Amino acid sequence: MSLLDRKLLRDLIALKSQALAVALVMACGLAMMVTTRSLILSLEATRDTYYREHRFADVFARLKRAPNAVREQLAAIPGVATVQTSIAIQVTLDVPGLPEPAVGLLNSLPERGEPVLNRPYVRAGRLPLGRTTRGELAVGEAFAEAHGLNPGGAISAILNGTKQDFRLSGIVLSPEFVFEAPPGAALPDNKTYGVFWMPYKDLATAFQLYGAFNNVAITLAPGASEGEVIAAVNRVLAPYGARGAYARVNHPSHRRVDDEIRVLQGLSLAFPLVFLSVAAFMTNSVMSRQIALQREQIAMLKASGFSNRQVGAHYFKFSFAIVIVGVLFGAIGGVYLGHRLVEMYHLFFRFPQLDFVLDARVLVAAAAVSALAAFTGVAGAVRRAVHLPPAEAMRPEAPASFRPALLERIGGARWFSASFRMALRNIERRPIRSGLTCLALALATGILIVPNSFRDGIAYVIDFQWDIVQRQTVTLTLVEPGPSRAIADFRHLPGVELAEPFRYVPVELRSGPISRRLTLQGLPEHGTLSRVIDAEPRQLTLPARGIVISSKLADILHVRPGDEVIAKVLEGHERELAVPVIGLAEDFAGMAAYMELHALNRLLLEGDRISGAHLVVNASRWSDFLHAVKHTPRAAGCVIKNSIRDGFRKTTGESIGLLQKMYLLFAIIVAFGIIYNSARISLSERTRELATLRVLGFSRGEVGAVLVGELVLLTVAALPLGLVIGSGFAKGILSSVNTETVRLPLVLTADNYAFAILVVALASALSAWFAARKLADINLVSALKALD
Amino acid sequence: MSAAAHLNPPSSAPPAGAHREPVFHVRGLARVYGEGTAAVTALRGVDFDFFRGELVVLLGASGSGKSTLLNQLGGLDSPTHGTLLYRGWNLGTADESGLTQFRRDAVGFVFQAYNLIPSLTARENVALITEICRDPMAPEEALELVGLGPRMDHFPAQLSGGEQQRVAIARAIAKRPAVLLCDEPTGALDVHTGITVLEAIERINRDLGTLAVIITHNAILADMADRVFTLSDGRILNARSNARRGSVRDLAW
Repeated sequence: MSLLDRKLLRDLIALKSQALAVALVMACGLAMMVTTRSLILSLEATRDTYYREHRFADVFARLKRAPNAVREQLAAIPGVATVQTSIAIQVTLDVPGLPEPAVGLLNSLPERGEPVLNRPYVRAGRLPLGRTTRGELAVGEAFAEAHGLNPGGAISAILNGTKQDFRLSGIVLSPEFVFEAPPGAALPDNKTYGVFWMPYKDLATAFQLYGAFNNVAITLAPGASEGEVIAAVNRVLAPYGARGAYARVNHPSHRRVDDEIRVLQGLSLAFPLVFLSVAAFMTNSVMSRQIALQREQIAMLKASGFSNRQVGAHYFKFSFAIVIVGVLFGAIGGVYLGHRLVEMYHLFFRFPQLDFVLDARVLVAAAAVSALAAFTGVAGAVRRAVHLPPAEAMRPEAPASFRPALLERIGGARWFSASFRMALRNIERRPIRSGLTCLALALATGILIVPNSFRDGIAYVIDFQWDIVQRQTVTLTLVEPGPSRAIADFRHLPGVELAEPFRYVPVELRSGPISRRLTLQGLPEHGTLSRVIDAEPRQLTLPARGIVISSKLADILHVRPGDEVIAKVLEGHERELAVPVIGLAEDFAGMAAYMELHALNRLLLEGDRISGAHLVVNASRWSDFLHAVKHTPRAAGCVIKNSIRDGFRKTTGESIGLLQKMYLLFAIIVAFGIIYNSARISLSERTRELATLRVLGFSRGEVGAVLVGELVLLTVAALPLGLVIGSGFAKGILSSVNTETVRLPLVLTADNYAFAILVVALASALSAWFAARKLADINLVSALKALD
Repeated sequence: MSAAAHLNPPSSAPPAGAHREPVFHVRGLARVYGEGTAAVTALRGVDFDFFRGELVVLLGASGSGKSTLLNQLGGLDSPTHGTLLYRGWNLGTADESGLTQFRRDAVGFVFQAYNLIPSLTARENVALITEICRDPMAPEEALELVGLGPRMDHFPAQLSGGEQQRVAIARAIAKRPAVLLCDEPTGALDVHTGITVLEAIERINRDLGTLAVIITHNAILADMADRVFTLSDGRILNARSNARRGSVRDLAW
């Protein structure tokens, strides 16, 4: 080790707490970047391999019923490589230990051989294939885990009105159900929704579908046009109650994974870059100070024959040493958090295996970015140092020039104490540095706003969705839409106090070239249970004509109230007609459209029919009610609001809650790092001045006040700016989380602002305290001798 | 005994004659830095009394112990052995807050490197001190005494070295200290500027009756003193009294 390097090492040790503060801020930015980029890589790589190895289809279609012979017609469509037809039907389940009924999506397995597309991955046990598997069922892993189900266990389902008992043959996963949740759900609720596979014959006979299918999966030949194939599939299936074919990009599970990757992409760049810029600024201020302190050493080195290049390299090495520590911590932190988050993704996404893959390129790139930031941060100071003629550098720097501060010049002088004036003039003499310190403090305040705005947004969504929009206790759906008199049967269930009907119908809404498939909900004009709420939030009444859509959907379709959209009904009598958009509804998951119930039925040309009802059930009759529902053959689904809400709370608590805590920790580290560093630099620059004051008879406390005054002024100026910046960050990041499947509203509460201010104030107070403790260590005699 | 009772500065010119009141009473004062084999002895036991209204010059080469002695007298450092009394009060055993109070009320420091606060004007540098001590003179008055009346609103960077040093002297005397301690006050100045600075110190000493202690390696300054002590290797080598103090202008520059 050269002697210069030894000097470097000792200087670093002397500066360890500041170097560490900078390295930690850098590490936070890097950890965030490494975690998110690596997760993107992990998710994409795992998903692609899974899709390929298990032959995830390219085009999907649902229909009412078509004879198996139609399969050949589909296979004959130009561009179609493989066709798989099957049956998929939603049923009510009776799960041991679960008081309420759950919903199961039953998928058929081929009568001969294995599935050719969307092939399940067997985690445990086996698939019920072959002829000897009657009464057997394979269950999706998420549902199995939620209920502690194992191969050999039992479960009951109501198939077409008849309760049947099944034995579980195995636990499986499928590329079709990476996100194992009903279409459009933002979060899975694995207690009440599960996916199952069973032999075709069992399922088909139970629903009188033997020799027919209602579900299609297709892969495309290389070079085939997806759009043309979809159009052809729709033509072939039109006579069979087709609900419209769709491409992989519109597949609900695929879309949810895609949206998650998009969210990670949003988080992976902008926010970490803020941290890295703060770290660059901190490196600059530490290094500038270090170089100023070593002015005479630089002169000596140059006078003794060291070249400018050697001297420059010495100081660059200094900042690179900080970068190396930062990168090391950042990589360790990123890998650790990445593993934690991969575990979290297990809550949402079911892959045969999701391993954390470190995106090494990102680590290298992030290290390079940090090094570059440190380099630019230090370049100016190093250049000044090496260009100093040795003789001049040997002399102490001339006293800095000051003038009365602006506030004094405009007449405030007589109210200010001497120490306040010193602080004001110090700030004004170095406007750029003061501005940057103020900005760094504002950034520290700002990044504290973001994580808590996540938390508050989620709390708002929970209140909005389950207090304002949904006021029912439970929602029951019928196996098939039925006549509206079914509502009377629901009213007679034990404990039901109020029942309001609804009609769900799959539609495609189109405006110009853009279209989306979703469930159109028919609701009573002045519904009191499931309400349509706008952004105010205010209840919208549904008039006899027109449609209310999610404001997110309006953005996607580029329509506003007053414009028309084309609604294509994807069930029963296929119809297409233009309906005016009469209002925009606020919602935070998926996309929705609403019409008045009778208006919708007129549109469907089906007479008065309903898909189910929202019910208010008296709590004292709850178990009677659930028991009755489990034995009501016509009820296909039963959604209990409170269990959905609890599930949502739990899942967000474990997912976004984890992210929020992680970001909050980072933000606190950065706030402390910036403030501590500023206080230390201020202490170092003014050691002589402060020692003089001590010698002249100022007490430690009085000198401390002089030291802290400048920091306090800058902090006070930074706080309002920080709140504005933080609100902007929160808005920016939430808009990157604004996808078709999940959104979070921007909620900025006084509590959130108060918390940010409190943390920064506390960090300032503690840093000031640390710095003031350092004051005690100043040797008064030597501080006066040393010419700075 | 409380510190404050003994910190009152003299209020008038020094009385002449035999009943002089000692400001500092020093016996066997020693200061050792470090311990064991690494111990460095900076003062090896010195004895003296300094009186009100005296102007004392401490001469010595660097390492002679004169700065160590000044730091002891100024309450910046405590002795290892010996007696150090300030007007009967034991400075040698005073605690941190006692020393701070002592410096605040009784001592005016003048440093070789001035040590002004760069962000404050001349007037404010003085006012900074007058704000925290009892019975100070007005900052303007102190600056007039050192001949800086017209330049009192200038910042240190706008003043010459001599002017900066005179601001430092004004700052030191504005509290009407009992003791003015000057560490190489002309060390960084040219001869002409040095004379104006020394004249300022002399005038304060004469007009206010302040005990002034100047440490220097410049033997020429000895002629302006009442008494001259020469230090070497931590001991007082030589102490003499001048029958008559020479004026600063008459020193053999």
